[in-house]
Amino acid sequence: MGALRPMGIERWWVLVFLTPTLIGLLLGTFGSIFATLGISFMDWDLLTPPTAAGISNYQGLPDDRLFMRSLWNTLAFAGLYVPLTVIISLFVALGLNRTIPGVSFFRVAFFLPTVSSPTAVGLLWTWIYAQDNGVLNEMITAMGGDPVRWLSRSVALYSVVIVNVWGAIGGGMIIFLAGLQAIPKDYYEVAEMDGAKSWQRLWFITLPALAPSMFFQCVLVTINAFQAFDYIYILTRTGNGNSTMPTLVFSIYRNGFRFFRMGDAAAQAVVLTCMIMVLTLIYFRLQKKWGAQA
Amino acid sequence: MKHLTSTALALILAAGTAAAETEISFMLWGSPQEGEVWSHIAEEFQAAHPDISVNIEVADWNGYWEKLRVQVAGGTPPDVFAMDAPLYPDWQSRDVLLNMQPYIDADPSVLEGVYPVTLEAYKTEEGMFGMPRDFQTIVLYYNKDMFDAAGVEYPTDEWTWDDFRAAAAELTIDKDGDGTTDQWGAWAEVYDMEPFWGPVIWSHGGEVVDAAAGTTLIGSEEAMAGFEFIRQIWLEDQSMPTEEQLSQYGWDGLLSGVAAMGFSGHWSVPEYAQAGLNFDVAPVPMGPAGRVTGVNSAGFVISKDSPNPDAAWEFVKFAVSEAGQSELANIGLAVPILESVANSDAYLGQEVQINHALFVEALEYAHMKPVFRGYEEWSGAVGDALSLSWTEGVPLEESLEEAVEYGDDALARNN
Repeated sequence: MGALRPMGIERWWVLVFLTPTLIGLLLGTFGSIFATLGISFMDWDLLTPPTAAGISNYQGLPDDRLFMRSLWNTLAFAGLYVPLTVIISLFVALGLNRTIPGVSFFRVAFFLPTVSSPTAVGLLWTWIYAQDNGVLNEMITAMGGDPVRWLSRSVALYSVVIVNVWGAIGGGMIIFLAGLQAIPKDYYEVAEMDGAKSWQRLWFITLPALAPSMFFQCVLVTINAFQAFDYIYILTRTGNGNSTMPTLVFSIYRNGFRFFRMGDAAAQAVVLTCMIMVLTLIYFRLQKKWGAQA
Repeated sequence: MKHLTSTALALILAAGTAAAETEISFMLWGSPQEGEVWSHIAEEFQAAHPDISVNIEVADWNGYWEKLRVQVAGGTPPDVFAMDAPLYPDWQSRDVLLNMQPYIDADPSVLEGVYPVTLEAYKTEEGMFGMPRDFQTIVLYYNKDMFDAAGVEYPTDEWTWDDFRAAAAELTIDKDGDGTTDQWGAWAEVYDMEPFWGPVIWSHGGEVVDAAAGTTLIGSEEAMAGFEFIRQIWLEDQSMPTEEQLSQYGWDGLLSGVAAMGFSGHWSVPEYAQAGLNFDVAPVPMGPAGRVTGVNSAGFVISKDSPNPDAAWEFVKFAVSEAGQSELANIGLAVPILESVANSDAYLGQEVQINHALFVEALEYAHMKPVFRGYEEWSGAVGDALSLSWTEGVPLEESLEEAVEYGDDALARNN
């Protein structure tokens, strides 16, 4: 290990080579984070100079209907999307972690949505969900059922969760497959010798060994859930540039870029960031606790 | 090194003197074809003003407003840019537009022969910070083939909303008998008031909004009667597709060939003609309070920070002159603001042969589309609340109450 560490003058060069990235990170990423934080305490319409607003942008949030609706939509979405994505991608990974014929075909099939354009895929789903001539409703009516209004306000939440989970399984599967293949084979051999049944091997070896992947996947999926935008917008947009299921990211965009209210938009972005941060911290706490037991 | 710098400097200076002209930029929303017409107008302008060259930049509607915000905020605004009248106060009140009044006062002839209603939107207490470019009146479009096939007589200027409703019901057809409608009598954009519900409310004697007082007025009894009419034709008769149904075919029901009638401005003409529709136009039907339609105008504004305001003004002046307006009339997307051009062959004798004069006549019974700061937010708030009735079966009384409340909120936030 020691031989791989930079020594003497090499350390200098490490710093030199890292400088461009570090500057980008400092100015670009951290710069915009601090700028957002700053703007959230100001009233700014992009065109006239900002004025100090104290915490009024934050105080106004509970009375902002679009924001509150977006907040509830996002929470409801995350509540369904996170567990479903984690559980389903885990099962898909378990199913595809073996040598069966055509396994690579299935892996590609599940991964395909991850690398497809969300706009194109979103449009495809609007055809599937379409009311009168949609594929789904045609199947339902062919079997004698009543057509469902998949994209109406009351059903849209579930419809978009389905699309988003479908789109995220591939990414989760890759993480779990990597985790599964890192489990030493001897564990299973020893367990088999001791007479462990297959469900016992799953429960006592596979799942505990997958705990780190599971935490990583949970954090990732939660972040994605709170930032969800593309599929949802394409499926639920309306003629006036609104959405029947506005999410937080949509509300931020609309306030900042359509309604000339960068201060409110920044405050909403800060709230979104804080929620993601708190959830991530909770995951880390849990991982420490759980990781210690395993 | 020093030598190199001075050479470079000399080159730059040389380039500056060699061109010896002022460059201005003009940004607008529209299609690439519109951009071509504007390039043509710019060429003609340059022929008359060899010392000024114009760069034309076209973007689609949504992209345009985002780009514009970023450019203006970044301190590099286009010299001249297109403006939609309802959004004009948002920009004018934020001190980014040049006051054109001194130029107009110096050359008042520029306003001669311009339809007065098109100027209304751009007037402020300090003067005009924008000039109209064209106007749009809303009329009833209909697909002749669908009327012929169903044996229904074409809309006339005698039509009331009840006649419209009866015809729409006749034209709503389930062609293959599978229980789902394949052709609707009409379609309408129902979020923004401009194409449909504004004229309906007005012709029922209602009012839409009093922005100065901060009140949304669609809660009145008269307005309610108008919305009730929309509810009947849409939800009871089901002569119009729901938004979900419509979205299966694209947003414009006439264009996609699933609706026999629709309401729109002149901007739809080229699109419908290109799609091969056999169509014509009729006046908006009459309501209990007579016939009322809406009129809106698009215009030009000049950046306050433009380094070449004089050249920019010259370009605007040219675009609203007879030469510029005749050229614009040719694209067929709008009605010229000059009376002389609107009644000339350039506008009336367009390639697409429909009743173009109707759009001009409609000015006689047109109300101006509301123009105030925060229009987009107000329109979104009201449209969202109303859509609860259109899509979720919420009673009109409730959604209207909510629309007024949301709308007033939006007005208050922008005052």
